[in-house]
Amino acid sequence: MLGFFEDRKDTPRLSTLRQLPLLATLSRRELRIVDGLLHERRHVKGEVIFDEGDEGHSVYVVISGRVLICRQGEPETGRITVIDTGVVFGELALLDDAVRAAQARAEEDCVLAALSRGDFEKLFETHTQIASKIALQLARQLGRQLREHPTSAEPRPL
Amino acid sequence: MKPTDASYSIENRFVSTGPLVWVATILCTTLLLAVLRHALWLVVPFLLAIILYYLLLPLVHRLTVAGVPSEISAAIVAGTFFLAGAVALVLLLPWVAQQAVVNEEALYRYLEGGRALLDRTLISLESQFGFLKRMDLHTTIGEKVAEFGGTYLREHLTEAALEAAAWLPSLLLAPFIAFFFLRDGKRFLKFVGEAVPNAYFERTLYMVDRVDSTARAYFMGLLKLTLLDTVCLAIGLATIGLHGALALALLAAVLAWAPIVGSAIGCLVVVLVAATDFPADPWIVYEAIGLFLLVRLLDDFVFMPLTVGRSLHMHPLATVLLIFIGGELAGVPGLVLVLPLAGLIMAVTGTIGGILNSPRLRARHEFAKALRTQRITADLQS
Repeated sequence: MLGFFEDRKDTPRLSTLRQLPLLATLSRRELRIVDGLLHERRHVKGEVIFDEGDEGHSVYVVISGRVLICRQGEPETGRITVIDTGVVFGELALLDDAVRAAQARAEEDCVLAALSRGDFEKLFETHTQIASKIALQLARQLGRQLREHPTSAEPRPL
Repeated sequence: MKPTDASYSIENRFVSTGPLVWVATILCTTLLLAVLRHALWLVVPFLLAIILYYLLLPLVHRLTVAGVPSEISAAIVAGTFFLAGAVALVLLLPWVAQQAVVNEEALYRYLEGGRALLDRTLISLESQFGFLKRMDLHTTIGEKVAEFGGTYLREHLTEAALEAAAWLPSLLLAPFIAFFFLRDGKRFLKFVGEAVPNAYFERTLYMVDRVDSTARAYFMGLLKLTLLDTVCLAIGLATIGLHGALALALLAAVLAWAPIVGSAIGCLVVVLVAATDFPADPWIVYEAIGLFLLVRLLDDFVFMPLTVGRSLHMHPLATVLLIFIGGELAGVPGLVLVLPLAGLIMAVTGTIGGILNSPRLRARHEFAKALRTQRITADLQS
């Protein structure tokens, strides 16, 4: 009923967010609410995003660029995987208090959107539907990773 | 390439609050209170605005979910609250003015009732203990109380009433400030996040989240606690047969916002009313005192853990110390403010302490700075 107040234009930023699998099921209205919680971070190539052993308090989505996941301090010899644009990493920070399982570095200049665990938990109180949709997408992503690497000895980040 | 300090992963984790953080928290709280006591007219509306913010935020969220942009939601909710408050004030003002005259007479009547109760109790004690009779305790104390009630209180009552009236305009600031909290709160958090270097970003987010959670848990818990206290006291006082049980209970519950002193004043008010309403029946007074103590116990052991809980995570010794400092530096507002203020400062000092204690984080920041410098000076180095 109050939808007439709503700005129906999709900004370039919202269009970018809509492409992310984690947020793909959100409506424009819900996306706008989540956008208000995301913090944009810009990292230069080689910069450390987080260390193995850090307490994880945010999940990151790669808006542009690529992120390298590697063993601590071994970006050349200890490469685990490379995260491309649109993919989420550090997602376990939303689920538990575990420390980061690997180091994340900017493989190239990149723009990331970070959502803190505190904000995600508040979403469950204030906007349950949005939080449920994100959690479901997160579970799907984790399930996919488990199916793709069922016997991998390498710890999957993060 | 691997950091030589094998303990990096351990020291990279959040440090617990050590003695230095505690000292810094107490010092910062003391300094802030010393500064704030000169601007209490602004601090109190800010405090009310924070409470309003946490009260109204769920309504803003509901409107946002319904499709109203967050800024318009904030304006609608804050505007509606302000209008409702203004209408209530206009409607209640004539009644309040009328009650002020009646209440002044009632105040002296209750003081007189309290004095009579004290007199009777002292005479009863004197009849049992000879040394008290030789001291002529009831005459000495009776004179002091009469002096306080007769001259000091009459002289200072008008002054206190005028001072309270002078505060009213500043209290009108509260909904105005709450509106900006509601409208720009998220924007401010983003602004803080943007100002922080990447290396310290997650810890800063964590700190902001802790500050917000602490403030919300404390203030919302305080409101719930006030409601529970009011209901329990009102039922008890009505059962005893005191007039105006609900108003008395609400007054006592609000007074309890000031730790220790507030509860004592609340109890005194209830005792004065009981002694005046039932001058011939001292048991009513004892029952009122018993009820008050019972509710205090319920408060400390049941309601408090359920509402405010350990939202501030403070050691009892530090709590008592801070209460004394707050009272000494800023009076009653200091008593109310000191604990939440210290809780928020502790979240900030703990995070800053964690960053200062983490050479790895500082090294990461320096490394990122070097990468950026290298990038922007690449064409200047050949």
